[in-house]
Amino acid sequence: MSASPLTHPAVTPGGSAALRLLGPLGRLARGLAILLAVFAAWEALVVLFGIRPYYLPRPTVILAALVQTPAPYIQGFLRTLSETLIGFASGALFGIGMGLLFFRARALRELVFPLFIVSQTIPVIAFGALVVLWFGNTLFAKAAIAFYLTFFPVTVNTLLGLESVDPRQEALLRSFGASPLQLMTRLQFPTALPQIFVALRLASSLALVGAIVGEWFGDTVGLGVLLLQGMYTENVVSIWATLLVSALLGTGFYAAVAGAERVLVFWGAEQ
Amino acid sequence: MTIGHSGLARLAAAPDAASASSAPAGPYLLEMKGLSKRFGSVTAVSGFDASIAPGEFVTVVGPSGCGKSTLFNIVAGLEEPDAGSILRFEGKGCHAHELLGKVSFMPQRDLLLPWRTVIDNAVIAMEIEGRSRKASRAEARDMLPEFGLAGFGDQYPHQLSGGMRQRVALMRTFMFKRELMLLDEPFGALDALTRTMMQRWLLDVWRQHKRTILFITHDVDEALFLGDRVIVMSARPGRVKLELKVDLPRPRSAELVTSPEFIRLKRIVLEAIEEEAMKSFLASGAAAPQTDAMPEVQP
Ligand SMILES: Nc1ncnc2c1ncn2[C@@H]1O[C@H](COP(=O)(O)OP(=O)(O)O)[C@@H](O)[C@H]1O
Ligand SMILES: [Mg+2]
Repeated sequence: MSASPLTHPAVTPGGSAALRLLGPLGRLARGLAILLAVFAAWEALVVLFGIRPYYLPRPTVILAALVQTPAPYIQGFLRTLSETLIGFASGALFGIGMGLLFFRARALRELVFPLFIVSQTIPVIAFGALVVLWFGNTLFAKAAIAFYLTFFPVTVNTLLGLESVDPRQEALLRSFGASPLQLMTRLQFPTALPQIFVALRLASSLALVGAIVGEWFGDTVGLGVLLLQGMYTENVVSIWATLLVSALLGTGFYAAVAGAERVLVFWGAEQ
Repeated sequence: MTIGHSGLARLAAAPDAASASSAPAGPYLLEMKGLSKRFGSVTAVSGFDASIAPGEFVTVVGPSGCGKSTLFNIVAGLEEPDAGSILRFEGKGCHAHELLGKVSFMPQRDLLLPWRTVIDNAVIAMEIEGRSRKASRAEARDMLPEFGLAGFGDQYPHQLSGGMRQRVALMRTFMFKRELMLLDEPFGALDALTRTMMQRWLLDVWRQHKRTILFITHDVDEALFLGDRVIVMSARPGRVKLELKVDLPRPRSAELVTSPEFIRLKRIVLEAIEEEAMKSFLASGAAAPQTDAMPEVQP
């Protein structure tokens, strides 16, 4: 539990709401400032050393391209976002469910868990080919790859978290007459939550990778598609623009998961 | 050998004297006869006999590792005693697990849930019973001042001091309204000053709530100050070494601990404990590599 780098906000009786509101805004402002500085340095370097656009275009050029033809990027963003979200959400739910199941049924765990591990040794590209065979070039094929990358770390961490429950705490609740279900909802699951979120943060990046790789097996919309098209047409600016949009998607998604973690696991890794 | 024979003789006589003068009227709430518990090769409790009458405040003292917590785990229903042990609750013989949900148990550590506020920690037992959350929360809110937690109802455990956390744990135990309360060294981790204040406060709360309390401590002053009766346990395997009636007037004030009668009782208890502490000390010494360095191990 102590491994998760959680920063829990100092909750004070009166001003907790204000602090929680100020925190994200402050972080956002700081992030934007850093981003601007990086762009400025990038622009300056390109101009100063006369780097050819083929290797590194100026950020202003990339942004201009984004502003001039925003439609494919917005479409791609939304499409890849949907694939990532569906894959991530279903993978997270499945992973948590399997973690709970393995925790309750040790025999099942010994039977099925090795299969999980084997499934994860298959390279994602090979798995992607299979998924496209099964689902065709649909949104769900990409979501399935995101799912495949998400569920395993979530299962492992859910199980890990559930097993970190203090047996004395369990004994106390049992002495109050708690049923197995009450133990799960009131003790075991909340105890596992910090550990589950460690996996969810990791999976938020993995799910995006899964979705983009999935698009490379063939599609017409999506950030992965834009990347491929840029490569074929040697449209360097388009590649860089897609890269920026992907970074925006990845960072935003990660930030959303981390934000949910701060709200839900407010007590931190205390104990 | 510094332990005198006169002391032993006096101690041996003490349980009879106590039970003769204090045989409580009516049926016992809890009876334990020949209670034993082994963990592999370790016998934690062996042939423990005691009976607790309704409304009594009984304190249990004994050297650490003598099986006090094991005893409580059995009475709380968490561990089954070994075959041959007799356990009777409210006049009926029963298995330990039948006591789950029937006894209000406070373990050695506060074990508060970090994601629950003070109020929500206090009502968890009632919540498990299936009582209305709203009603139990309102009840808890009303109880806060009595437990010295006024204004702290919506705080989280990590924002509280050790003494306050312990009071939340006590409040949780009191809110689980059961006739019998088991308190396992509830003040063990507190500093001396907080501890004496908590003791007086506990007596007040006990008088108002009219419960039966079985209280573990390793502090003799605490055992005598709180209890109607003190049970001194032997070194492991734990059984009753001495049972002593504490005929001191209630309500008890802080000055009581310096009264001659208190000192007299304390001497009796200390003598019994010291003998047992010596035994467990020698036993642990004998288990160490150089056994020959320890003369006269056998009593
Ligand atoms: N679950 C258990 N498994 C194995 N040994 C145990 C267990 N619980 C207690 N013991 C052993 O029983 C003895 C008594 O322990 P305990 O009841 O906790 O003592 P006390 O509370 O008096 O200090 C100790 O030697 C301890 O190691
Ligand atoms: Mg103990």
